[in-house]
Amino acid sequence: MLNFKGEQTMIEIKNISQAYGNTQVLREVNLIIKEKRITALIGANGAGKSTLLNVAANLLEPCAGTVLLDGKDIKEMKSQDIAKRIAILKQTQHLNMRISVRDLVSFGRYPHSQGRLKDEDEQKIRQAIEYMNLKEIENKFIDELSGGQRQRAYIAMILAQDTKYIFLDEPLNNLDIKYSVEMMTILRKLVKELSKTVIIVMHDINFAAAYADDIVAMKGGQIMKEGAAQDIIDQTVLTEVFDHEFCIANVYGKKVCVYFPPEDKSAKGDAINE
Amino acid sequence: MENNKRIRRMFFVLSILIIVAVIIYFYARVIGKSLDSGLPLTADIAKKIASRSAMSILGMTVSAALIAVVSLAFQTITENRILTPSMIGFDSVFMATQSVLVFLASRWAVSKHLFSNPYLNFLITTGMMMVISMLMYRIILRKNKNNIVFLLLFGLILSGMIRSFTNYIEVLLNPQEFQQLKAVTSVTITNMNTGIILLAAPVMLVLVFLFMRKSREYDVMLLSESNAKSLGVPYTKRLNTNLILIALAMAITTALIGPLTFLGLLAVNIARELFRTYKHSVLFIGSILIAILFLVLGQGIVELLRYATPVTVLIDLVGGVYMICLILKENKL
Repeated sequence: MLNFKGEQTMIEIKNISQAYGNTQVLREVNLIIKEKRITALIGANGAGKSTLLNVAANLLEPCAGTVLLDGKDIKEMKSQDIAKRIAILKQTQHLNMRISVRDLVSFGRYPHSQGRLKDEDEQKIRQAIEYMNLKEIENKFIDELSGGQRQRAYIAMILAQDTKYIFLDEPLNNLDIKYSVEMMTILRKLVKELSKTVIIVMHDINFAAAYADDIVAMKGGQIMKEGAAQDIIDQTVLTEVFDHEFCIANVYGKKVCVYFPPEDKSAKGDAINE
Repeated sequence: MENNKRIRRMFFVLSILIIVAVIIYFYARVIGKSLDSGLPLTADIAKKIASRSAMSILGMTVSAALIAVVSLAFQTITENRILTPSMIGFDSVFMATQSVLVFLASRWAVSKHLFSNPYLNFLITTGMMMVISMLMYRIILRKNKNNIVFLLLFGLILSGMIRSFTNYIEVLLNPQEFQQLKAVTSVTITNMNTGIILLAAPVMLVLVFLFMRKSREYDVMLLSESNAKSLGVPYTKRLNTNLILIALAMAITTALIGPLTFLGLLAVNIARELFRTYKHSVLFIGSILIAILFLVLGQGIVELLRYATPVTVLIDLVGGVYMICLILKENKL
């Protein structure tokens, strides 16, 4: 993809390999992340989704291969400059500190301000808090919040960071259905209204099917299949990726995966279709 | 804003308390000594004792400040609120290096100056501590950040091992070498290595400045390693510089005043409780003040009451109990 200056603006992952000890986690992975879309990484446990995400966001140095961020090798960029373009959020961790929502969101400005907040930073912080509906609870401490509110506070921090790319590692973990749907709706809004590019590691393929534009299916450290969500949510593809029998149903015009084997083997899987 | 006012007031109160502590200490040393001996207190003697006390206070200040700063930085980079460098046996490395140096000095002519030349000796010791702290971090600390009990156990075993090694070397020394070694390693708060205080004081100021300059970065590091990296902190680079600075600071305070196992833990955690903030700019100053207050006031009172035990023993007693409470609270064993 080219911007108006003719520069490349995208993330390109080239021949990435990664190993922990003797276990090969990624094998020569190549991937171009499309702009202004939600890309979901799916796959079984140990397929290398999180590792790929960490490598792409420069949290982890790969054993081999390069990551190009807007045409430049990420290894040769300063951490601060990377942080102005990529924000990554891992599964919500236990925090070792008592911090208010507002202060947490302020940390998002660190790559820009190095901790000395200017008017522009204050404005971005305020916008992020308002965008994520955190105004009423901005002075509450993080450990007083519910799981969904906490996740929203972290997303607000990333919004304040004001990066083009947002990487999320299993953001729906520990969230109940209501908050999960809310989270995905927010992410869709980010793409549509703020032109963000979101890359997300997911376990629940139904959430991926419903909310992602593109899906990258991984297995054994390699990309098995990538493409538009509608094309990947397919019985043969998913069966191969997960080594498990799938049945794709259509509900409200959307594809839904049913992954429970029927108790009665003779029952037809597509019985619930429309 | 309300909190800022409170913090400033707290700094003020702590400073006043430190001044009071210094007065008590001087009083105990100068007046107490002369009353004890029954000799008349001439201006000459008073001056002599006072200047010696001033040196002691400077030494305590340098050590306390270094220990406080290093403990806070260490706790932030290892993401825990209990362990400090002294608790996992950094100071035992100092003792071991000294004994090896004495041992070598008497065996090989080449290595004679390694021990006797204070600068060379200091360089080697600090280098050794740096290497060990790096190895320790790489192999153990990084992978077990949240496993305090394991880390404590590891520290216990490591320092025990190094101590037995030191003992073994000591057995090999002849009486004269042993005396030399003890002159260096038996420093305590009442028997400071006064020779290096004037050198250590400016180094302490530089180190404290280096740590405090990065206060905002430490704040970000509290969010966890991945968040800090995502926010553009060059994490690995910072870890390495930190470990080097920590080893340097530990070498200085151990050479100056001997091991102070629990002072850092007490100072840092009390600062957290008092100031109720995560901001390192406040916590650094707060824990430095508290550590100085503890040492000087404690030692002043001990001298006033003419106890034979130095205050470090008391601090270790209180600190040990406090640590057990912290572990029980945080780990809910």
